[in-house]
Amino acid sequence: MTDMRLDLRLPNNLGELDALSTRIEGFMEDAGVPPTPAYRLQLAVDEFFNNAVDYGYPDGRAGEIVIEVSRTGDRLDLFFSDDGDPFDPFAAPPPDLDGTLEERRIGGLGVHLVRTFADHFAYARENGRNVKRLTFAL
Amino acid sequence: MIHIDRIVEGAVVVTAVKGRLDSSSSPKLEEFLIDAAPSGTVLLDFAELTYISSAGLRVVLKATKLLRGAGGTLAVCGLIPQVHEVFDVSGFSSLIPIHPSREAALATLG
Repeated sequence: MTDMRLDLRLPNNLGELDALSTRIEGFMEDAGVPPTPAYRLQLAVDEFFNNAVDYGYPDGRAGEIVIEVSRTGDRLDLFFSDDGDPFDPFAAPPPDLDGTLEERRIGGLGVHLVRTFADHFAYARENGRNVKRLTFAL
Repeated sequence: MIHIDRIVEGAVVVTAVKGRLDSSSSPKLEEFLIDAAPSGTVLLDFAELTYISSAGLRVVLKATKLLRGAGGTLAVCGLIPQVHEVFDVSGFSSLIPIHPSREAALATLG
């Protein structure tokens, strides 16, 4: 399998989400990524993109989101960067998953899924941008 | 993209969802389930659901709470392995009955 890479630059607009999902799906097929790691990476991009657009730009300013996906041998890497307000999603406590139905809240579930599914994850604030790096084993 | 069908099977209202449940499509399912004034037994058939994010889970949780509050029941069936994994990691598997197929679900619920 030849190593493959996808680079995307998008405005902070939720209208981009459908096209973004289609691009990621196409890349996974072209790169021969099996369904489970393909799904896990797709979910990470989706949750991060939504969170960045919904909470990163409270003043309504235009922003730029950069997404790089690469397959190298048996690993899949995601680089996700945005110029929104500083926020480390991995610093938040995990949600309470043991409550009854009535007590359950949905907040924090997206990040919980992403951190559970990734083999490695890291956050950094670099040059005024939120940068997340994740690795998924194939 | 999402496609939703409602099929009445005896006492069970089957809601079959095809496509992806993410933040752009899940409001359609929310509207569909809530306009239905949920009561009785609702089965969400996800056999052709290829993807669900936390936005989709939010709608499933909301519909479950609404139904149970009205004395009804919500169950899901036909999850592909990746969607099943999302239900497991979210803790939803212990809150919502999951059946392998529509037939198996109807045999239990009907």
